[in-house]
Amino acid sequence: MSTTENRVDAEAAAATPRRSFNGGADVATFAVRHHKGPWRSAEDVSHRLAVVGLWILMFFFFAAIEPSKMLQTSAIKSIFDSQEPLVFLSMAALATLSVGEFDLSVASVLGLCAVALPILVDSHGMNVVLAIFITLGIGVAAGAFNAFVTVVVGVDGFIVTLGSGTMLLGIASWISGDETVSGLPNGLTNAANTQLLGLPLTFFYGVVIALIFAYISSFTPLGRRMTFVGANREVARLAGVRVARIRFCSYIVGSTIAALGGILLVASLGGFQSSSATIYLLPAISAVFLGTAVIQPGRFNAIGGLIGVYFLATGILGLQLLGLGGWIQNVFYGAALVVAVAVSTLVRRRRGR
Amino acid sequence: MNADADRLRIEHFSKRFGSTLVLDDVSMRIEPGEIRALVGQNGSGKSTLIKLLAGYHTPERGGRLGIDGQEVTLPVRPDRIRDLGVTFVHQDLGLVDHLSASENINVGWEDPSRILRRLDRRQEERVARRALDVLGADIDPTVPVVHLSAEARTTVAIARALRAQSEGAGLIVLDEPTRALTHDSAQSLYAILRRAADSGTSIMVVAHSLAEVLAISDRVTVLRDGRVVGDGLMTGELSEQGLARHVLGRDLDETAIASERPAQSAHVTVHGLAVGASGRMDISISQGEVVGVTGRQGSGWEAVPYLVTGALPARTGVLEVGPNRIDLHRANVRSLLRLGVVLVPERRDVHGLATGLSVAENISLPRLSARGRPWFSGLKWQRDEAADVVTRLGVRPPDPAMPVGQLSGGNQQKVLFGKWMLGEPAFLVLHEPTQGVDLAARRDLLGAVVAAAGDGTSVLMASSDVNDLSAVCHRVLVVRDGTVVDELVQPDPDEIVDAVFEGMPQMGRTA
Repeated sequence: MSTTENRVDAEAAAATPRRSFNGGADVATFAVRHHKGPWRSAEDVSHRLAVVGLWILMFFFFAAIEPSKMLQTSAIKSIFDSQEPLVFLSMAALATLSVGEFDLSVASVLGLCAVALPILVDSHGMNVVLAIFITLGIGVAAGAFNAFVTVVVGVDGFIVTLGSGTMLLGIASWISGDETVSGLPNGLTNAANTQLLGLPLTFFYGVVIALIFAYISSFTPLGRRMTFVGANREVARLAGVRVARIRFCSYIVGSTIAALGGILLVASLGGFQSSSATIYLLPAISAVFLGTAVIQPGRFNAIGGLIGVYFLATGILGLQLLGLGGWIQNVFYGAALVVAVAVSTLVRRRRGR
Repeated sequence: MNADADRLRIEHFSKRFGSTLVLDDVSMRIEPGEIRALVGQNGSGKSTLIKLLAGYHTPERGGRLGIDGQEVTLPVRPDRIRDLGVTFVHQDLGLVDHLSASENINVGWEDPSRILRRLDRRQEERVARRALDVLGADIDPTVPVVHLSAEARTTVAIARALRAQSEGAGLIVLDEPTRALTHDSAQSLYAILRRAADSGTSIMVVAHSLAEVLAISDRVTVLRDGRVVGDGLMTGELSEQGLARHVLGRDLDETAIASERPAQSAHVTVHGLAVGASGRMDISISQGEVVGVTGRQGSGWEAVPYLVTGALPARTGVLEVGPNRIDLHRANVRSLLRLGVVLVPERRDVHGLATGLSVAENISLPRLSARGRPWFSGLKWQRDEAADVVTRLGVRPPDPAMPVGQLSGGNQQKVLFGKWMLGEPAFLVLHEPTQGVDLAARRDLLGAVVAAAGDGTSVLMASSDVNDLSAVCHRVLVVRDGTVVDELVQPDPDEIVDAVFEGMPQMGRTA
């Protein structure tokens, strides 16, 4: 805040004859910092990529301690090839978080859909394509239910989805008899597990959905409106944004992405037990919050979420290679969530929210 | 305690942020029982000075601070300065909404030896009532503050500050206490502050409105570019013009900005708008005309901007814009926006702008559909729009990528203006358009209103600032009980005040 300069500039601006607002036809001559886009300085870039740097550092840290295990292709592959459910759940959580809602039921939707599909196909002998559509319909219905109670009735979404998530998981365990259900045709499994460049197709599906998400939120009017609904609902409404509709649809889109994740998950595993869905919720949400420190600091963003998922996967793998038991997952994911939310809060505060 | 000593003595306070000296060797003294105003443009160093006092920042070496003749070690320790009787009322008041006035006033004063025992609610309420009585305020201490008016909330915050003082001692520092208040409530706040000062407590108040400063304070300290350019000026000997000269360092161009009154042919009309409990208003505005709406607080005019733009549902009312006719009972913001009806709301950080998002994003929001395509919002027009606003309204710093929340109030208001004016609105509705902005920004903003009118926009400006109304309005409608009771043509500020307070017992501009 260079006050002298400000005042002089303000005087100069006031002294120049004012032109009226005509839609901004001739602005090329003004000395505004256009050239300074979002990635404006080395400092800024380093802020945006700090988590990526940390990720690489972490990888080399583990590689230095356990070079024989960490530097194997199989280890590196394992970071990337089994995160499909987390990537889809992150994107599902992102759909609601980016408009200021919070959907805790996405993991349950994923679990319900992952058991519903094999049950429809195997036990009921249904055509696979039809079964997939019905399974996606379950996701849409679950999202619509959450949206109705949250947006139309006006109950806090956090509580609604905490309840509906538990309910859906109960239904999943009921229809599957609490057992692992399987029996999907090979074609579907191939669509999930076929290797491309050494990684299964599910990896690429995850990247594609993140890219689509990132494009929509950064480069379309819809994405901008979603950002405003998330940032300040009243400002959005007074600018003519259909706030309720966007909130409503965010639940449906989130649940549908979770349903799609569930379908791909059971396709790649061959079978699924509904109760194992719960382990995905916390890391997915951790990844999304971790992602707010990347690329677009202070905002929920898809690329950040994707990086968050692989960041966490690298950490877990490294810690397990060091010989720590399965318990480390809970400790690491839990700690990561707290740290990620703290970082996200601090970044927002710095940006004057 | 030395009774003759200054209540507050600041000597040689400086503060540097990076390479910028934001406070340059500031010294001032405040006497017991004095009301001292601290004025200056945005960025002149007022807030920094207060933050040094509160212990939020550390002053540069060489400064000294004395309270009632006692030397205070620097940097200030917040608990130490409170013990010496200096309390702060910040802009946001710092009240807990769902707690009662009594609980808010007593927070932090629970008896530590009784920390685990039941709170003595009655005793607390007695204390609160006494603190409110000192201020002559009739507020029920048991009511949650969220249900209180802006004025009452401010009063509660001041009562809490007074609670910390021993009778007739101490210093209360207020940062823009009238920001959330209308003209009338500001008047009663002045009376409250005066009562506190009469008891011997000193008051230091940061304010933007110079008329307010003259009404409220005994003396003024003027900061410009971090330096004291006028210290302890007696308000009795100052005119608003004279004070403005000190603040700006030049003559304030107070000639009317308003352009010639356009030919009267109704372009925008409001028929039978239900306002308040029983009021009914009709307004008609020509193309290029600026019509002001004002009145006493609570007389209904404050709702008009929101009712005519669909932001609040109207019970009845019809709006005509050119050939289009809309029932305001059923209208929403979307449908009215399509006709070019735009609202610049009073509370820019709550209703106007998303403060965490950038200047450019905020500006382009209303035109995403019109100028972008569904699958690609387009980048160039957004950059151009932001550059346009930044240059024409003089937004500082001139950086479209900066989050709006990091700009000063005046610059945020410029961004808000730009956001809505770039759409070439047919009907521009403003509520308190220059509230909490400095003088240079005010002139830029009023200039933009006049420029919009010059382009053929019909403008409705609801404001309690008579100087603003006088400067840009072709006509001013005075509202009482939701009904227009007077229409003034290009009035001067005094005429407006007279019309607004006509028939009211002893409520002049200076309470």
